[in-house]
Amino acid sequence: MEKEPLVGLVFFPAFDWCISPDHPERQERLLYTRDQIQEEGLFDHPRLKEFRPRLAAPEEILRTHVVLPSLERNVTESHRIAAGGTMVAADLVVDGVVDRAFALLRPPGHHANRIVHGARGFCMINNEAIMVDHLRHRLGPDLRIAIVDTDAHHADGTQDIFYNDPGVLHISLHQDGRTLYPGTGFVSERGGPGAYGQTVNIPLPPGTGDQGMLLALEEVVLPILEEWQPDLVINAAGQDNHFSDPITNMGFSAQGYARLTELLKPDVVVLEGGYSIESALPYINVGLLLALAGLDYSRVREPGGVPVRESRDLIRQVAATCREVRELWRTRHEVDLKCVFGPGPFFERHRQIHYDTDQIFEGQRESIRLCSECPGWRLVITASTRSRTPAAAVLLPWKPCERCLGEARAQYEELLEDESFSQVVWQDPSSALQDEKSGRE
Amino acid sequence: MYAIGIDVGGTHTDAALLKESQVAALAKVPTDHGDLFASTRQALEEIWRHYPGDGPVRLQLSTTLSTNAVVEGRGVPTRVVAVPGPGVNLKSLGLPFTVHELQGYIDHRGREAAPLDPAELKGLRALLGTGEGEAVAVVGKFSQRNPSHEQQIAAELTQWYRGTITLGHRLSGRANFPRRMMTAFLNASVAQQQLEFAAMWRRVLEDLDIPEEDVLVLKADGGTMNLADSSERPIETILSGPAASTMGAQALTEREEGSYVIVDIGGTTTDLAVVVDGEVLYERDGAVISGYRTLVPAVLTRSVGLGGDSELHFSADGKITIGPRRAGAPLCLGGKELTPTDAVTALELADVGSRGKAVQALAERAGEFGLTWRELAERILEAFIDQLCAAVRSLYSELENMPLYTVRDVLNPPDLSPQAVVGLGAPAPVFIPRLAQALGLRYEVLPFSAGANAIGAAAAAVTLSLTLHADTELARLTIPELGCREPIERPLFFDLDKARSLAADRLKELGRARGCGEGAEIYVVEEESFQMVRGFHTVGQRHMVRTQLRPQVRRVRG
Repeated sequence: MEKEPLVGLVFFPAFDWCISPDHPERQERLLYTRDQIQEEGLFDHPRLKEFRPRLAAPEEILRTHVVLPSLERNVTESHRIAAGGTMVAADLVVDGVVDRAFALLRPPGHHANRIVHGARGFCMINNEAIMVDHLRHRLGPDLRIAIVDTDAHHADGTQDIFYNDPGVLHISLHQDGRTLYPGTGFVSERGGPGAYGQTVNIPLPPGTGDQGMLLALEEVVLPILEEWQPDLVINAAGQDNHFSDPITNMGFSAQGYARLTELLKPDVVVLEGGYSIESALPYINVGLLLALAGLDYSRVREPGGVPVRESRDLIRQVAATCREVRELWRTRHEVDLKCVFGPGPFFERHRQIHYDTDQIFEGQRESIRLCSECPGWRLVITASTRSRTPAAAVLLPWKPCERCLGEARAQYEELLEDESFSQVVWQDPSSALQDEKSGRE
Repeated sequence: MYAIGIDVGGTHTDAALLKESQVAALAKVPTDHGDLFASTRQALEEIWRHYPGDGPVRLQLSTTLSTNAVVEGRGVPTRVVAVPGPGVNLKSLGLPFTVHELQGYIDHRGREAAPLDPAELKGLRALLGTGEGEAVAVVGKFSQRNPSHEQQIAAELTQWYRGTITLGHRLSGRANFPRRMMTAFLNASVAQQQLEFAAMWRRVLEDLDIPEEDVLVLKADGGTMNLADSSERPIETILSGPAASTMGAQALTEREEGSYVIVDIGGTTTDLAVVVDGEVLYERDGAVISGYRTLVPAVLTRSVGLGGDSELHFSADGKITIGPRRAGAPLCLGGKELTPTDAVTALELADVGSRGKAVQALAERAGEFGLTWRELAERILEAFIDQLCAAVRSLYSELENMPLYTVRDVLNPPDLSPQAVVGLGAPAPVFIPRLAQALGLRYEVLPFSAGANAIGAAAAAVTLSLTLHADTELARLTIPELGCREPIERPLFFDLDKARSLAADRLKELGRARGCGEGAEIYVVEEESFQMVRGFHTVGQRHMVRTQLRPQVRRVRG
């Protein structure tokens, strides 16, 4: 590696927090990782500096999310510390305190959508997304940020939040949605009318290991990043693609993860999932830290386990997906958006969203204003089995055009008069405060 | 009951005689770096003259023997035999010794993931030879969770090796393999010298008719240990000087509880230590000496190159910076360069040597910046206080950045902030009130400024600690400091309370064997407890309890 990088580590294992005592998201999750990092002496290493997380402020969360019925009802202190710690990691990098940072913390966030009725996929609020909006709030809306999500599960929450956001390139590598939660993340999901092509999904067949993952990285991810030229690269580093993970079927190893990190050179790494807490996480995290710091990771190995050998067929399948995704990327500007999103003035989609962790079902109708000047304002009407009465949210993009701003404002005023909504939310990411008016309780 | 404390410092060797909790006498002799034993003995003779002999006496020594040996690299040739298993490449750690690596691996739960290779064990003989006049440190990764590999290697070595053997797990129950290697390496390399030191003292004791058990050696954690233990674990005696001063300050202060910063201002350096709610703060992982990171339990002290005899630097615009080097004796005491002490003397804040010389020198210098000598002297004092303030603030901001791993701690971070400055050292009466004012704190200047280190050495008492690690799924418990790993008889009933009481019992036993006084109490300094869940079922619990046996701080009066 080029110069010797200094790595900032925001480690927050939340040793006193769990979803429930037997849940994979429990106190014990990062215990063995802490033990291994400590025993390897990495906390002492001159290329590594540890930092404390902080509590995310409500307005920092509400810049990204609409939390129903309220922030207090859903978001615990642990969620706020994980989001705050992720922001600390990003600030360390953009302020030049460190060269790269790793937010090694829990609970995770990448299944949390913009609208939050509860927890889904162990996630309540989206740590990376809150961090991205925090950075844009600090440094301006023109910042270009790429998120590469390597968790075994499709990052559907992050995709949902940045689906129509031209400032963010979202790439997710994951186990094929036909075989794993949340069942999405197909190559055909390419983003909204305001950011078409900037949602990139690379579904991988079950059993994909180091060779397949690194193939996808080198054939698709790195060339796309090279072309798009982001100001910052974020790696949402879920570690459940490991061959020993109990809830997925992938074949990645600690060596593979370290190599991926070395090639990707992310500015900020954020832990997502990963539930092989004894056999995988301690070794993946040591390898990842060493790779981030540009140190020799060749001796990091999981004792006992033998990584999967991928069949030639499987590699051929991965290569075919890679070609397809590359082609979609290459031709993204050639697509006639009218064919995808209709003639306008609005594109509308209806969704059923399942919150598996909290057992909630949400029904959602989203309308996006098709606009040639900006990504377009949005209206979301949402109801869940928890809230019953629907709520409405008017969402502004970063840098809305005058017309969209005016229309959105008028729509919001109109909704305030409408008694059928329990809540009407106005979200402008560039302002710190979220206006909210509750109709009836 | 009498107690004599001796602290060997860089310039002076101080001695104090306590009668019960009264300071009966103090003495001071120059330290002879060529023959530390001689000057220490001389200090003892000086103070011995004040001992009336009407009761038993205990002798407590804070020496710089091991510290110097480590700093100057004067240990015996020492090899490190390690069982690192997979992980960080040892070559990337920049260790000051080469490591002979053996195959085998203990994992993070203390399970043997790969055994030692018998052929490699036999091969050690060719590598190490008979080891006459040499030493070897044997260290395994996670040996604090399962010392069996280190023990197997030791069993092989004791058959033919004649040099010192240090086993990593006996020195600390804390995690950190590189530090464990460093600690064991340093310990092995200075052990021979400590043995010789103990032998010399035994002869002195015979002359003075003091029984061996009444001679104790000071440790970096501010406690003491007996001569035999000090020969086994000499590395624990490093940095006992700053620890002795801190103990002295704690013994002399009128504050019973509360949080304060101890500021010990000397000629060359100022040492800072932190007390929170009546307890002195320790280094998180262990002492750092000469850049070597160890697992030696140590009082947290920070040394700043700022003292009465420090160099003064003037920038073109008259801005003053002080230190970090010593200028030599102040002008008022016949030195060659202007120092902070000269400013103090000129302003009549203290009566040190010739005020005339100090004023004259200040006046010469003041002209360059268009100041009067008095203005210059005041500016020197201000600069001193500014730098001291910055050092105190930077220490607290370092402490406030200590990582926190629970939601509870993040929401209510421990409050370390001091309510007072407790000062000692000869220049303390001048600087401490000003420092306290600048920090907005109350202050106390301790009596016996010159001998607080020796008083601390005399007032110190035996400390012992051990770490119990229990894994009820594996039904195994380990206490590395005792070298034991044993089955848990009824794992289902082994909860954190059981772990605590077992750790306390073992520590008491150890205390009795080491001749600890009855006044000692057992503290749990750290503990954690986790449910272990596999596949949605609880399979066991993991407990860690770190206990320490230590006495109440002994109060000393004038």
